[in-house]
Amino acid sequence: MASIMVACSSNKKPIATDTATEVAGSEVDFKIEKSGAQLWGEVCNRCHIAPSPADYNDTDWETISLHMRVRANLTEEEITKIESFLKSAN
Amino acid sequence: MTLIILGLGSSALAQTYNTFEPSKTQFMLRGYGHTGFEYLDTGGEQESTFLGATFAPIFLYKHSDKLMFEAELEFELEGNELKTGLEYADVMYVLNKHMTVRAGKFLLPFGTFMERLHPAWINRLPSRPLGFGHDGIAPASDIGVELRGAFDLGGPKLNYAVYVTNGPRIKDGSEEPEEAGMLDFGYYEDVNLAKALGGRIGLLPLSDSSMEWGISAYTTNSTGAEDSDYKDVGAFLWALDLSYVKSITPLQGVVDIKAQYNSSNVDTATYYEIEDGISEPYSFDNQSSSFYTQLSYRPIMSGSDFMKQLEFVGRYSDFNAPEGAEWEEKSTQYAFGLNYWLSWRSVVKFSYQTTKMEGGHDSDGTTRTNGLFVHWAIGF
Ligand code: HEC
Repeated sequence: MASIMVACSSNKKPIATDTATEVAGSEVDFKIEKSGAQLWGEVCNRCHIAPSPADYNDTDWETISLHMRVRANLTEEEITKIESFLKSAN
Repeated sequence: MTLIILGLGSSALAQTYNTFEPSKTQFMLRGYGHTGFEYLDTGGEQESTFLGATFAPIFLYKHSDKLMFEAELEFELEGNELKTGLEYADVMYVLNKHMTVRAGKFLLPFGTFMERLHPAWINRLPSRPLGFGHDGIAPASDIGVELRGAFDLGGPKLNYAVYVTNGPRIKDGSEEPEEAGMLDFGYYEDVNLAKALGGRIGLLPLSDSSMEWGISAYTTNSTGAEDSDYKDVGAFLWALDLSYVKSITPLQGVVDIKAQYNSSNVDTATYYEIEDGISEPYSFDNQSSSFYTQLSYRPIMSGSDFMKQLEFVGRYSDFNAPEGAEWEEKSTQYAFGLNYWLSWRSVVKFSYQTTKMEGGHDSDGTTRTNGLFVHWAIGF
């Protein structure tokens, strides 16, 4: 368990920088959108230490995401991207 | 023969496997607990104790992508008695992208400490800052309805919450004369027709969400029973909160700053003090305030696995209760902690805390309390 946490906290950096520059659909103003991985690193650490994707299965992530969306008052965009990142990386 | 059995076995397996497909509705049993050891020295009088384990199961039921129920029960030994509590029990529904409605008993977004930071596996210190909890001035939870939501401002983010609840009851001194004039937020039954109205606006000005400023307000026209002298005693409370969490490379770790200021203003009223069998009226300017700020640091980029799990914490808090009240008090507290994280939700906390209190429940003069705490918290 301890190693999961370390992995989670120390993995975050590389993931964040690798995937930070995902370009939004061409229709709008070339805004650089953040990836789910980067948002997870920024958002899920604000109150408690962020859990790593492997901590829960997809079903649990769905419940937790809705719970956190409401409790932490996150935007729909943030939680949608973070939820798909958590489900893809576990 | 073996082949047939194997064949049968695998088809049976395949069938059983199908039943593990996620159902549309989802139920999770989660929660947290903590235990520990405390040593306290109050003005030269010492006590020490192992703490009975506290156990708080949390039930999360997700009916659909929009509808969910959350409830937390609390089990705690108080002396030899098992104390139970319903921390919250509310249902929520996502109305649209920017609005969710909640109803039931919920934690109030008055500042951030009670709603977001108080669970033992989240709070970086074993104790709450002054002003929160028992006899605190910040409302923690109540029964009512709430609307909340968030907006992306193209980098910065804004979130809001507004709620209507039963509101507090004023302690008129008839039961506990030494607490006359205090607001009792733990009295959930509505004592009058007036409701409390409150809200919070949070702004995350930086695009990396590292900083959040929040302003909260809470008001009610009446805190006394409908037919009592205290019916028209209203109250207005406000709070400011700050959170800053950032991974800073030159410091090789995460810096976490939290702060909250609470102010409570209750309309002036007359209370009675019984002295030598005679009831004496008295009154005071019923204003209280409290403040805390906490700094913690986790060296997560350190080369040593041991250092990565450590966390250093310092917290200052103070509390001012009204002059002239029986519960007049001025307290300041410093708390220092060293935490060892066993997982993202389990932490062993070592801390030293020193509190200077002037006044307080019918005591005059200054009392200094020093405490040593070892707590172990786990979320599951
Ligand atoms: C604004 C503060 C805040 C933020 C931001 C936040 N959480 Fe939480 N989280 C909490 C609180 C408070 C609890 C405890 C809920 C309780 O015990 O009532 C919690 C509990 C949890 C739990 C335990 C299970 C549960 O749902 O109660 C998980 C898992 C979790 N958070 C994951 C996340 C993830 C993933 C993110 C990022 C999307 C996140 N959190 C962001 C405050 C926050």
